[in-house]
Parts: sequence; C-alpha cells; structure tokens
Amino acid sequence: MQLNIEFMKRAFIASLGAVPITLELTFITMVVSSVLGFLLALKKMDKKKNRFVDAYISFVRGTPIVLQILFFYSLLPTTLNYVLNVVLGLGIKVFDIDPIIYAITVFCLNTTAILTEVFRSALSSIGYGQMEAALSVGMTNWQAMRWIIIPQGLISALPNICTTTVNVLKSTSLAYMMTVQDVMAVAKKEASYGYNYIEAYLVVLFIYIILCVVIQLIFREAEIIAAEYKRGRAVTQKTFSRRWSYVKVKKYT
Amino acid sequence: MLKLKNIHKSFGNNEILKGVDLEVKKGDIIVILGPSGSGKTTLLRSINFLEKADQGTMDFGDIHTSLAKASKKDIYNVRKRIGYVFQNYNLFANKTALENVTEGLIIAHKYPKEKARVKALNALRQVGLEDRADFYPSQLSGGQQQRVGIARAIVSEPEVVLFDEPTSALDPELVGEVLNVMKKLARAGITMIVVTHEMSFAESAANEVIFMDEGVVVEKGTPKEIFSHPKDPRTEQFLRRIINVDYQYAI
Amino acid sequence: MRPLHPSYILVAFVKIFPFITVTLATMAGTVFIGGFIGLLLASAKLSKNKVLAAISDTYVYVVRCIPSIVLLFIIYYGIPEFLQSFGISINDSSKWFFVITTFSILFSASMAEVMRSAYESVDKGQREAALASGMTEFQAFRRIVAPQAIAVALPNFANSLVKLMKEGSLSYTIGMVDVMGKGQLLIGLNQGSYGLETYIALALIYWILTLLIEKVIGEIEIRLSRGKRKVALGG
Repeated sequence: MQLNIEFMKRAFIASLGAVPITLELTFITMVVSSVLGFLLALKKMDKKKNRFVDAYISFVRGTPIVLQILFFYSLLPTTLNYVLNVVLGLGIKVFDIDPIIYAITVFCLNTTAILTEVFRSALSSIGYGQMEAALSVGMTNWQAMRWIIIPQGLISALPNICTTTVNVLKSTSLAYMMTVQDVMAVAKKEASYGYNYIEAYLVVLFIYIILCVVIQLIFREAEIIAAEYKRGRAVTQKTFSRRWSYVKVKKYT
Repeated sequence: MLKLKNIHKSFGNNEILKGVDLEVKKGDIIVILGPSGSGKTTLLRSINFLEKADQGTMDFGDIHTSLAKASKKDIYNVRKRIGYVFQNYNLFANKTALENVTEGLIIAHKYPKEKARVKALNALRQVGLEDRADFYPSQLSGGQQQRVGIARAIVSEPEVVLFDEPTSALDPELVGEVLNVMKKLARAGITMIVVTHEMSFAESAANEVIFMDEGVVVEKGTPKEIFSHPKDPRTEQFLRRIINVDYQYAI
Repeated sequence: MRPLHPSYILVAFVKIFPFITVTLATMAGTVFIGGFIGLLLASAKLSKNKVLAAISDTYVYVVRCIPSIVLLFIIYYGIPEFLQSFGISINDSSKWFFVITTFSILFSASMAEVMRSAYESVDKGQREAALASGMTEFQAFRRIVAPQAIAVALPNFANSLVKLMKEGSLSYTIGMVDVMGKGQLLIGLNQGSYGLETYIALALIYWILTLLIEKVIGEIEIRLSRGKRKVALGG
C-alpha cells in the first residue's frame, strides 16, 4: 500500500481552510446549547416532572445523531419554506439559507438535551447539605441557588462539558450530509478527483485529533483555574470582612 | 510461636519501620501503643503480608521465611493461620454477614458449605450477632460491622489474630461492644496482637504492652510497668497526652 | 409541503424491524471483540508496567478523539488496499468485517475506561480483607472485587452499549444493510418520497432498543448490587 504523500499535503492545506467552519459549528452549538440546557436543567430541578422535556431528552439520547440529522434536514427546509412563504407569504428564499444554519439547529437540538442532563446532575450533585446550610444562614431559595449551588455546579460540570464539546466536535464530521463545507466535506471533495480516499480520511483524522487535544487542553486549564477560584474564594478579604461586620452588627443591636 | 526479627519497611524515602523485633507466645495478648505514624499499622500489615517488608524474617510454627522474599505458598499459609481485623472493618460489601464469615472458610480453607455455615454461625454467636446473619454490611451499625469483622477473623481458629485499631473508626458509644467482644476472646485464650489507643483494654487484658515511636520499639513490659513506671520519656509523654484526652472526655 | 402519511410509518416499521437481528449481531461481535481488547487495555492501565500503561492511555486518549465515520471510512477504504499489498483480496461483501473492526476499536477505548474506573471504585480494603481471609489474589478478584466492580460498571456499560448502537447506524454509509441501512434502502426504493415516515420508523426502533437496553441492564444491576441497598434499621 502506497500513500500519496503529495496529495496528503495538498488535502491537509485545503482541509485546514475548513477548520474555522468546523470550529464555528462546534462553538455556536456549545454556547447556544449551554444556555438552553442550563435553563432546562433549572426547570427540571424546580418542578417535579415535565413529561415533554423528559421525552425530548430521552428521544435525543435514544436515537442516532445521523438519524436526527437526516430527519431534520429533510423536514426543516420544506417546513420553513411552507411556513414562511406559503402561509406568511414573506417570499424568503429558504433554499438559499446557508446550510450551516440547519446544521447548527440540528446540533443544538441534540446538544441541549445532553447538556440539560449534564447540568442537572451537576446541580444535584451539590447536595442538600449545601442548600440547607445556605438556607440556615438566611438566604432565600434563589439566593442559595445563585451564590452557593450554581457556582459549585458549574465547576463540577466542567469535565462533562468538556466531553460534550469533544462529542459535538466529532459529530460535526456528519455536517457534510447537510452540505456544510466543513473539514470532512472539503477532504471528501479533494479525494474524489483521484480516488485518494484513504489519504483524505487520514488527513481528516489527523486534524480531528489535533482539534480534540487542543479542546481538552483548554478545558484542563479551565478546570485548574476553576479549582483555584473555588479555593481562593473562601478566604478573600471581602467575604471575611462581610462576615465580621455581621458579627459586630449583631453585638450592638 | 511467632517470631519476627529486624523488620524494615520504607515508603519511598520515608522509613516507617527501622528494625522491629516481635515475639509472640501462645495465649499472649500484646497491645501495641504509639503515636500515629509510628509504624504500628505497617508492622501488623507486614506480618500478614498485606505490606511487603523490605527486610526481616519470620518464624511461625513450621514456616521460616524472609519477609521480603516469601513464597506465595508461605504467604497464603501464613494468612490462613493468622486472622486480621481491619480498622475500617472492610466487610465484603456484596456479601451478608454470614457470607462474610463463611467466604474464607469455603474458598481458602476448602470447607464444605454446610460445615462452614455451622462454624460461621458459631462465630457470629460468639460476637453476639447470630440474629444479624442475613444482613448486609450496609444494614449494620459500625459496631456490628466490626463484630462481624472479628467473627470473620476468628472463624478459622487462627493461631494469632491481629487487630488494627479496631475501634478507632467507631462512634464512642459503639466502642464498648467491640471491646467487650475482644475481652471475651482474650479470656478464651486466643492469641492476639492489638494496635489500639484503648488504655482500658490494654490495662485489663494485655500481658505485654509495646510502645513504638518512629519505627522502633521504644520499650515493652507488662501493662503495670509501662503505665506506672515508663522508663523512656517519650512513653511518658505519650501516655500523659492520651490520659489527658481521656480526662477531657470524662468531663 | 406534502402531508405526512402516518400509516406508512407502520409499513416502514414492519419492513425494517427484522433487520434488528443484523444490528444486534454486529453489536454482539463488537462487544465481544471490543470488550476483550478493552479488558487488555484496562489491565495495562492498572499494571505497574509504566510503558504498558502509557501505551494504553495514549490509545484510549487518541481513539476518543476520532469521529466514528472517519475511522469507518479509513477502515473501509484502507483495509482492502492494505491486504491487497500482501496479495490478499477481500470481498466487498464482507462489510460486517469493516464495521466490527471499526467499532471494536472505538468500543474498546470506552470499555477500557469503564473497566478501569469500576475496578478502582472498589475499596482496596475489600481485596485486603479477602487476602487476609486466606484467599489467593485470583480468588479475591473473582469472588469479592469483580462482582462489586461489575455492579458499578453496569450503568456505564449500558451507556457505552447505547452509544455503540447509535454510532453503529453509520454503517449504512458503507452499504451495510442493518436497521439504518434497510431504512435507507426503503427510501431509495420509494425514490425518497416517504423519507420522513421512514426516519420516524427508524427513530422509533432505535428509541425502543435504547430503552430496552437501559431497562435490561438496570434490572441486572439491581440484582447484582446486593448489599448496596440501604435499609433504615434501629441499633
């Protein structure tokens, strides 16, 4: 077996040009899904049962992402077209929309469900002890969430957020199915000229490994900073003096 | 009956045991005292090969071996003939109290099941837990778990039973039940080596008290000698501290 | 926009359903081979041999960075050429071979982690207590450590299994006719006209399988976690 090194170099450079698309897809998906997932997690913590949210999460976790992509990609454009143009008569050219919008939508639908679970388990891992302690010093439910539970929850969710990010990154290799011109699509196109598929996919593999390692390094750094923040916070001057003034006030009243 | 000579053990650059000798005769109740980090637990673990000592020899009945290069056969034989009670009980979490006691008999000592059961129930009766035979460790209190641990250690009628701080993980109100079981065993003539801070047990049950510090035996003697006339200032200081703590508890 | 034909969902469901056997068979093969490699990797990770541990760690780290579809394509295009250079020609119909190879590589990495963390979750006192009762290392592992580790590993194993099933659906891209592949064939046969209905049928099948896997393994876990249940008792 002889690998065409010349081609691999060419494909590598061509694919590198598509890395921003892959990263954009990953980044936007993570940001949007984090916000939505966090809100859903809070909602889940709050209320006893929400059948719809539960079914949505179960569905997303129970079906292959490739199926979700195929399903929504065959549903979204035609539905949008129908709603916008046939019902509302806006005359928007739906089929001209950048396919990355569809891709982001599908990935967000998927990732939001995953992150809801991540945040929920992180928040509930903080435990009743912390909540009760917060309530016992006179905080309201919301204050306890805001100052005690959520900051700790976010920190303990970091490793799982890292895993989710890596998984989203890997899933973006399927975006070519929605005609997004990401790393995979570009490499595939390069390969098709001379049937250099093995070389092309090896290049893609290499790029994904690098991206993945970089993302994990960033998260590891974030975890270290978060751990320091957690430790450092307990002894900052501010909290200390605040506690002290509280004692004084108590004394004199 | 059991003779250990010149035990050395280091963890990295930290030398925990610096040449300890120990001699145990049949029926001995030996209590080992000493501040934490003095090597008491490491000594017990080395005897049972849970820790491999770097140097030292063991004479145990017909077994004569170096501690560092003991054969598998010798190790298993020693373990079968020495019972061990852990500080954190270490009951098998997936087995009932009875199964905890029978497991070693059936697997290691090759007892038939029914015989093992009878023997195990007998051991549980000795520690007063016959009625808890079918309970899982998570359903038992700390004191009960430790008593099952003791039953597990004595069921095979070992020649020596090692107790590694058997009461230090227990709530104060549960210490008594475990000590009572141990005193009962002592009266029954079981040979024991006990690492503990319980002075009352040392005073009433031990025939020899060993004081260890920084990896060496500082002094040894009868409880009376050690408690009333300690020769070494380190022993005296340690005892005063322990007794002060007891005093504070009493208040 | 054309209306949905709910009745065709049922038609597609019935047509696809028998292909569950193909999906499950490839999964079983992958679990067997990938699980075995995972076991080797986990023991390498836990061994005192630093070189073995480093190799195993690197393997797991790298494999977790690989998108399934990329590896699948590399294996699909690469292995025949690789074997060709030794004069062995591999039949294109043996797609299950490519699929099982690909997913065994991926599955072994996650199993290595599952097994390692399960082993480490069992308190080391359990092993020591077993040794102190006179058991050999192997007896201690087999009777005391392994049963507890397996109970701990099961939920993660279920996750890995579900993930394997979902990722396995990508096999259709190299022409494997499993559940997903049959669905794609159906859509092709209908010239794409019942796409949505077929996808819904597929989604239902995968969803049901996922819930089933979780349920079954959950039941096994309950059986195995004897002694873990907490019962409030006086005294």
